Amino acid sequence: MATAPGRRWRHGLDVLAVLTSRDLKAQYKRSFFGFGWALGGPLLQLIVFSTIFQNVLGSRIENYASFVFIGVLVWGWFQGSLGQSVGLITGNAALARQPGFPLSLLPHVTVSVRFLHFAIVMPLLVGLLWWQGIRPTSAWCALPLLILIQYLLTVGLAYPLASLNVLHRDTQHIVGVLLQLMMFVTPIFYSIEVIPDELRRWYYINPVVSLVQSWRTVLLDGQWPDPGVLGILFSAGLALIVIGRKIFIAQSHRFVEEM
Amino acid sequence: MNEFRIIAESVSKRYLHRPKGTLSNPGKRVRGEPPLALRDVSFSVGPGDMLGVVGANGAGKSTLLRLLGGIGRPTAGSIRTHGRIGALLDLGGGFLGDLTGRENAMLAGVVAGLLRREMKARMDEIVAFAELEDFIDEPVRTYSTGMMMRLAFSVAVHTDPEILLVDEYLSVGDLAFQAKCGARISALRAAGCAIVMVSHGMDQVRKLCDRALWLKHGEVAAFGAADVVAGLFETEMKEETLRRTPDGPRRKSGGGLELVPRENRFGTFEVEIDTVSLHPGPVIRSGGPMGVTLGFHSRARVAAPVFVVSITREDGTLCLDTSTHLARVDVPDFVGEGSIRFTLDRLDLGAGSYFLDVGVFESSWTHAYDYHWHAHPFTVDGATEHKGLLAPPCRWEIGPALQRGSES
Repeated sequence: MATAPGRRWRHGLDVLAVLTSRDLKAQYKRSFFGFGWALGGPLLQLIVFSTIFQNVLGSRIENYASFVFIGVLVWGWFQGSLGQSVGLITGNAALARQPGFPLSLLPHVTVSVRFLHFAIVMPLLVGLLWWQGIRPTSAWCALPLLILIQYLLTVGLAYPLASLNVLHRDTQHIVGVLLQLMMFVTPIFYSIEVIPDELRRWYYINPVVSLVQSWRTVLLDGQWPDPGVLGILFSAGLALIVIGRKIFIAQSHRFVEEM
Repeated sequence: MNEFRIIAESVSKRYLHRPKGTLSNPGKRVRGEPPLALRDVSFSVGPGDMLGVVGANGAGKSTLLRLLGGIGRPTAGSIRTHGRIGALLDLGGGFLGDLTGRENAMLAGVVAGLLRREMKARMDEIVAFAELEDFIDEPVRTYSTGMMMRLAFSVAVHTDPEILLVDEYLSVGDLAFQAKCGARISALRAAGCAIVMVSHGMDQVRKLCDRALWLKHGEVAAFGAADVVAGLFETEMKEETLRRTPDGPRRKSGGGLELVPRENRFGTFEVEIDTVSLHPGPVIRSGGPMGVTLGFHSRARVAAPVFVVSITREDGTLCLDTSTHLARVDVPDFVGEGSIRFTLDRLDLGAGSYFLDVGVFESSWTHAYDYHWHAHPFTVDGATEHKGLLAPPCRWEIGPALQRGSES
């Protein structure tokens, strides 16, 4: 019996909604502050980075607190999503064993959950910007596009990582280490200006570098981000998500057997 | 509508275990091909049919159900299904303890293929069926196994499946709920749902299924009418118990007879009955009370075994046969030593020699742990005014006409 395509989309969205709320509830239900804890991590990083780098090391970057906060948030969404995506299939064995369950939705769930963690901190960032005297400009309209690009890229990368981890459990450890390393080669608490020119083009292999810079261009300088860069990132994200999903679906019948 | 809901043609399945070594524990390389989990299995199930799948543990029953659900692919052969598949494969496996019953039900329903608004519309019905009105907003971690089972079952049967796959499910829950499940299953079948159920309970297979498939080491040992296949399987299981009875030392039983494995003692001895004591003693007065205390031990944890007591007359006539299963007494999981007591308020048997047979079986009767057959003799005395098997309290009363006649 073929189900109407409209119903399939609708059902996909419903699955996304219930699983996202399941993950959030499972994480926070029994804690007093609940989802408020999502603010804790980024705030702590903001305080540590801005005191150490601004006051102790004497960074001369303007509006350093906002500068760091943008980096921390964008990176946090990316790292959180990939770090959790690796264990998606292995951690959801019961769902993988449900006949007809669209497993390919799982990376969307994880990336959405982490996005909500990202979104809840946004008002704080806006408040910080306001306090530092920065007012919204029309360029802020580019922000949804930046979010979409990051979403595509992250889900696109999550697909192969989750599949790989089913067959090779070492993947989750390797990814953990690589993400740690990547954090230091992403200009979160320093500016890319301090990187020597010959190294800098290698830096741009890391898509988060361009994303963080685009956010800073929009929020700190009030300028539109470079459309060429966004075009490349968007195409890359789209390609990754299409290919990644194909690989994932082709592999998915093996997942259950490997668990 | 298609003529069949499920058609399986020469399905074989081989799980590929790749040599899975780790640096700290290099695995041994497995030579040759791993064995087939299923070999050349063919059958079909039509709308409204119910197929029981029986077989020993590891015979490939669960593998078959998974393949039917489209989880994994057969190595050879093909499986075609027509219709939406509902499944009860692992008991509450998808439930999260911290979420409430309602949240978990919503989750399970949407995951099974319903829209959120469809689930909302059915929620009251689902909760009522599961008899969880008072607990549905409590976290599932506070639920008993039975409550979780009822909720999962209720969600599954309310998602309008056209094919329902059930793994070892209906044996949980009390009698009233089982009856309700049976009724619901009949309703689903009347609506054209095809059901495939794995079961260890042959009575259940006989009662619910039209046909049964017996899997043995991944191959079809028998496929046909449920009664026949269930009977064949039971016969084989008895022989299996006989075969699995290990050689062990002979030992004296409490009653005096020697216990000899494979002669009057059968089982795998995972649980051993050490002492069988009769109260008040080996000679029991007809009409008096009788008690049996079994002392037993097990080295490893044993899940909910079934204790059996039966009384047979010397000539083999069965006088009484009962078990904790029949009496609906739940024996808890246990390890170590323990005892259980069976009491008859009145033993209204005629005078003579009898045997007490005692046993302990695996929770779903797949095999005996320990069974003492005709090893504990006892005597009933008294009741000289009767002959025959029974000696209940009884009296003669002479009618008034006869009394008058004797006066004249």
